[in-house]
Amino acid sequence: MLRFLIIGGGLAGVSAAVQLREEGFDGAITIVGEESDQPYDRPPCSKEYLRGDKPFEKILLKPEGFYADNTITTILGSPVTRIDLEGKVVETKTKEQIPYDSLLIATGSRNRKLQVPGSNLEGIWDLRTVADANKIRTEISAGRTAVLVGMGFIGCEVAAALTQAGVKVTILEALAVPFQHVLGREVGQSIEHLHLSNGALVRTNESLAGFEGTYRVQSVSTTAGENIECDFAIVGVGAQPNVELAAAAGLDVDNGIMVDAFCRTSAPDVFAAGDVTRHFHPVAGQSIRVEHWQNALKQGQAAARNMLGIPSEYAEVHWFWSDHYDCNIQYAGFHGPWDELVVRGSVEERKFVGFYLNQGAVSAAVAMNNGRDLRRAKELVRAGATIDPDALRNPDLDLRKLVG
Amino acid sequence: MPEFVSVGRASELEEGEVRVFDVDGQAIAVANSAGTLYAFDDTCTHAQCSLAEGDLDGTTVICPCHDGEFDITNGEVLDGPPDEPVIVYPVRVEGDDIQIEV
Repeated sequence: MLRFLIIGGGLAGVSAAVQLREEGFDGAITIVGEESDQPYDRPPCSKEYLRGDKPFEKILLKPEGFYADNTITTILGSPVTRIDLEGKVVETKTKEQIPYDSLLIATGSRNRKLQVPGSNLEGIWDLRTVADANKIRTEISAGRTAVLVGMGFIGCEVAAALTQAGVKVTILEALAVPFQHVLGREVGQSIEHLHLSNGALVRTNESLAGFEGTYRVQSVSTTAGENIECDFAIVGVGAQPNVELAAAAGLDVDNGIMVDAFCRTSAPDVFAAGDVTRHFHPVAGQSIRVEHWQNALKQGQAAARNMLGIPSEYAEVHWFWSDHYDCNIQYAGFHGPWDELVVRGSVEERKFVGFYLNQGAVSAAVAMNNGRDLRRAKELVRAGATIDPDALRNPDLDLRKLVG
Repeated sequence: MPEFVSVGRASELEEGEVRVFDVDGQAIAVANSAGTLYAFDDTCTHAQCSLAEGDLDGTTVICPCHDGEFDITNGEVLDGPPDEPVIVYPVRVEGDDIQIEV
C-alpha cells in the first residue's frame, strides 16, 4: 500500500488529504501537525472567533470524525523534526519514525517577531493560531486600551474586532499611508478612513520603539518620541515561511520552498504547498510566495493530484479577502510595478473595483464591497489584458465582455 | 401548510440575473439561469453576505464576499469557505408572476 505523508495540519495539508481521497486514492494518508487542536480554519481567528461569535467547533476545517471516516491518520501536537530524503522517512518530536512513498510539505508560515526593548513583557501578543486568539480574547473588554503595531490586513481585522468590542485601539503604522506600496495612496487612505470613522486612532509615519512596563506592558514608545499608554498590545508585522525542515533536508529554499507549477520541490517524490512555497506561477511568469487562504486551498488540491501522477498545473490567479467592520476588501492578481490605478465606482463610498495597470495591462485588481466585479476582474488579470481605461471605468460595460 | 407566494414579475428578471425578494421578512434570491428560475436563501451560510450581489455562472451562484460557491438546483456547497448548504425553495411562474413556495 502506498503511504502518503503530509507535514502540516493547516488548510494546505488538509485540502490535499481531502483531494487525495476525492481522487480515489486508497493508500495510507497521514497528516502530522504541530498544533494539538483539530485542524481549523484560520481566517475566523481574527474575526468571528476572536469576537466570540463562533465557537471552535464551527471553525474546524472538517467536522469531528471526518478523518477517521476517511481513514486519514492525524498526528497532532508532535511536529516533524527531521526529513530524511534518502531513507524516505520523517522523524517527529516524540522520535516516531514515519516512512513515506510521497511527501507533501505544508508547514505554512509564522509571524515575524520584533526585537525591541520590552518585548518580553506580558500582555504583548501576536495572532496566528487559535491559541493566540484565545489569549487575546482574555484581554478584550469594553473600555480597555490597546496598541496595535503594524497596519496590515490581519492587524486591521483585529483592530476592527477589538473596536467593535469596545476596546480603544491605537494603530501604529510606519508608512505615511497604510498599504500605500501595495494598494496605492487612494485606496490606502480609504482603509485608513474606514478605521478612523469606526473610532480607532491611526498614527502614521510612526513605528514602534519599545514597550514599557514593570511586569506587564503599560505603554508603547514610538519613534516619534511619544508614549502611548495601553492595557495590552498586539504586533502584526508580517510573516515568514517555515522552511527550516526543508532547508535542513537539502531542498532548494529561497524565501520559501522552491516548487514548480506542479508543486514539485527539488527532490523526487517531495511536494510542497501553501504559504511555505515560492512557486513558479505560469500566469505571472515568475516565482511568487503568498500567504493567502485560497492559495493554501487550491495549491494543496493541485499538489494532491500531482502526487497521484495526474499532472495538474497550479495557475490560479492569487486572490484574498479581508473584512474590516462592514467592509469587504478583495485583491486579485500579482503585486508588482504598476503605473495607473483605474477605478470603476467610488472609492469614497467604498464601493468600487480598481484595476492596477502596468504599461496598460491589467496586473491586479482591488475591490471594496464589490466582489462581483472583482471576480470578473480576475479574468482580465489572467489574460494580462490591455483594455481602454475608459471601458474599465464605465460601470455599464460588463467586465466579462471586455476579455478578448 | 406551505404555499406559493408571488414575489415579482418574471419578465423583469433577465437571463443571468439574480434578484432578492422579501418574503415575510426573509430575503430569498431568485436566479434566472438560461430561462429557468431557481429560488434560494439570499444569505450566504458562511458570513451572511447577500448571494444576489454575487455572480451567476450557469446554475452556480458565487458569493461576492469570499467566493463560496453553491449549486442553486439543490443548495449544495461546490467550493470555497462555506460548510453548510443554502436552503432552496420550489419556484414557479404563473402568468408573469414569480411564485415561491415557503
